[in-house]
Amino acid sequence: MTEVPKGGLTASDKAAVLVAQLAAKTIRKLGLGLGSNLPGRIARKLSPSVLSHLSSQSAKGVVAVTGTNGKSTTSGILSEILRTAGFTFAHNRQGANLVTGITASLVESATWQSGISADMCLFEIDEAALPVVAREVKIGTVLVTNLFRDQLDRFGELDTTAKLISAGISVNHSVAILNCDDPNVRQLVSDETRFFYCIDDAADATDAAHAKNQELAYCGKCGAEVAFRKVFYGQLGHWYCPSCGNVRPAPQIVARDVEVFPTSSRFKLQIGATEESCVLPLPGLFNVYNALAAAACAHYLGVSNQAIRYGLKEYSTLFGRSEKLTIDGKSVIVQLIKNPAGATQAVSSCVKDNRGRLLIAINDNLADGRDVSWLWDADFEQLAVSPRVKLTVSGQRAEDMAVRMKYAGYPQDKIVCQPKLEQALNQCLSEMEEGETLWLMPTYTCLLELQKMLKSMGVAMSCT
Amino acid sequence: MPRRFTIYSAGSELELRIAHLYAHFLNIYGDRGNIIALSQRARWRQMEVKVDAIDLGQDIDPDYYDFYFVGGGQDKQQIVIAEDLRKKEKQIKEAIGNGAVILSVCGGYQLLGHYYKPHEGPELKGISLVDAYTVAGNRRMIGNVLVKRDDATTLVGFENHSGKTFLGKGVNALGKAIVGNGNNGEDKLEGLAQGTVYGTYLHGSLLPKNPAFADQLLSQALARRYGAQHLQPLDDHFENQAHKRAMTLPA
Repeated sequence: MTEVPKGGLTASDKAAVLVAQLAAKTIRKLGLGLGSNLPGRIARKLSPSVLSHLSSQSAKGVVAVTGTNGKSTTSGILSEILRTAGFTFAHNRQGANLVTGITASLVESATWQSGISADMCLFEIDEAALPVVAREVKIGTVLVTNLFRDQLDRFGELDTTAKLISAGISVNHSVAILNCDDPNVRQLVSDETRFFYCIDDAADATDAAHAKNQELAYCGKCGAEVAFRKVFYGQLGHWYCPSCGNVRPAPQIVARDVEVFPTSSRFKLQIGATEESCVLPLPGLFNVYNALAAAACAHYLGVSNQAIRYGLKEYSTLFGRSEKLTIDGKSVIVQLIKNPAGATQAVSSCVKDNRGRLLIAINDNLADGRDVSWLWDADFEQLAVSPRVKLTVSGQRAEDMAVRMKYAGYPQDKIVCQPKLEQALNQCLSEMEEGETLWLMPTYTCLLELQKMLKSMGVAMSCT
Repeated sequence: MPRRFTIYSAGSELELRIAHLYAHFLNIYGDRGNIIALSQRARWRQMEVKVDAIDLGQDIDPDYYDFYFVGGGQDKQQIVIAEDLRKKEKQIKEAIGNGAVILSVCGGYQLLGHYYKPHEGPELKGISLVDAYTVAGNRRMIGNVLVKRDDATTLVGFENHSGKTFLGKGVNALGKAIVGNGNNGEDKLEGLAQGTVYGTYLHGSLLPKNPAFADQLLSQALARRYGAQHLQPLDDHFENQAHKRAMTLPA
């Protein structure tokens, strides 16, 4: 390959951009899909260096968002904040977060003559893809949301995921912005530059003695099991190691007085000596963590407190992440579920709504996780405390979900098992009464199906 | 929980005592579902159910419990558990000798045998409750499993392991793996069923969608203190549907 001036593109890079953009347009025109992966594959074939060259053109560098839960929401909130602050950036907002998807998104925002003109690149990156991408892209900042036991059937075990992320960070000696409430995240890198965020205090917190569904975690220094002074959910909380004295590090950004409501949250964001009262149009502590992660990263990138606060308030939800819709005048909330911690959080938002109906849809395709065991680790028992209405279960594994709810103590005769998602949805909608809200909790591929159905009803979800 | 099942007088005085070994440690892969299923199936028959989590360093009264459960964990946890389990070896063997039932899944199953031999590092010694051993394999066996038992009944579940378990001569497997790998991916056997000792690689969770097997374990556990019990049938239509659905899944 011929040597090119710094920041310039080779002839094959230019060809790759042109051809991939044409391919993306064709795919969309013919209705063959979003074109979020294939153009990337084509571009990489034509020029294996295209990702590396294009990403190096962004003046303020590359930010990667990774972790098991909340990548899309976190990078969505971050993009809102960055936009508010006046940054321009390239972003794989369709959530295609493997190397081909990232290439595709970057190629789309380039011109073949001069490449990328954006200030920065914002990439949501799959945990396993991080080291792969990091070898091609000089990633300046890596934001890690959390490390839950997600997709165990994909990587085998949690430790594997932690190693992949650590490797990805150390390739470029990236600055790591870490959730220090998560002992699994805290241990990721030991000697690189780190920046921490955490929740100080929330109305939903439980003291360690009463924590349900608390997950085990280990000390990064000595390997002993960590203990908690306060647990927010899963293994997120104020932890310490009783064995070697390792403690949660001092955070630079803190959320305090966190309050979560059925469809929104409120908290005070402390950045250094200043404090901002923030409103987030999303429910659940997990979303407060996402907002906090985005805020920490934005602050590190030099964004003002005002822009952070405004960006949080203006954020409109991403595809299927606590998205609020109106179908035929009926109010619907869509919350993607994919692992025990997320499902438990989603359900606890739903039980706060005493006029809520619920449709849970479980598929077992690769993207959902083929093992449905995780359903038994989520706290669906909360729903059985006051089984007010019929509960509908659907999807390829509707029967497993029906069994789960029966054993959670939900009366069997109030469980409707309808594996066909379209019929389940229509039935739920038709039975809804004035003032009720339908909570849809689909796994990923059920969400894709729902998106299609809603589109044909004239309701657009985000990213459609 | 509303009681929706007719009461047969025999059931009402029975009590089931469950020991969930390392509940706090080995809590991945939905193994908790097995405890939930067994407890609920007993409660729906008007039995009293007591579940105790037995932690590291905690003694077991071998006369007390009817049913023991030990699940699977990640590698790091296995080492700690193996060490502790050896301290409980005598108590567990005495309990099984007295007729208690033990169900072990994945990592727990491996530790009931003689040893687990990893790729690197020292062998993990098991408690030799059963004649079996496990060696680390080169590939992870992940996917749906369908098992056919000797009495032609089926079990469904999901496996996720790289350890390969081999049974000694004359040791009964739980069944044959019709779909999936089972114990080692070589001899087509899955699990172990020896008297009141059961081992398996099936998650899923196992007992909720294999209600007949759950009841088999339940009546064996009750037999220790109450003799042979006729369990009144339950309305298992959701469980049977889930079982049937899982039987159609590819590996």
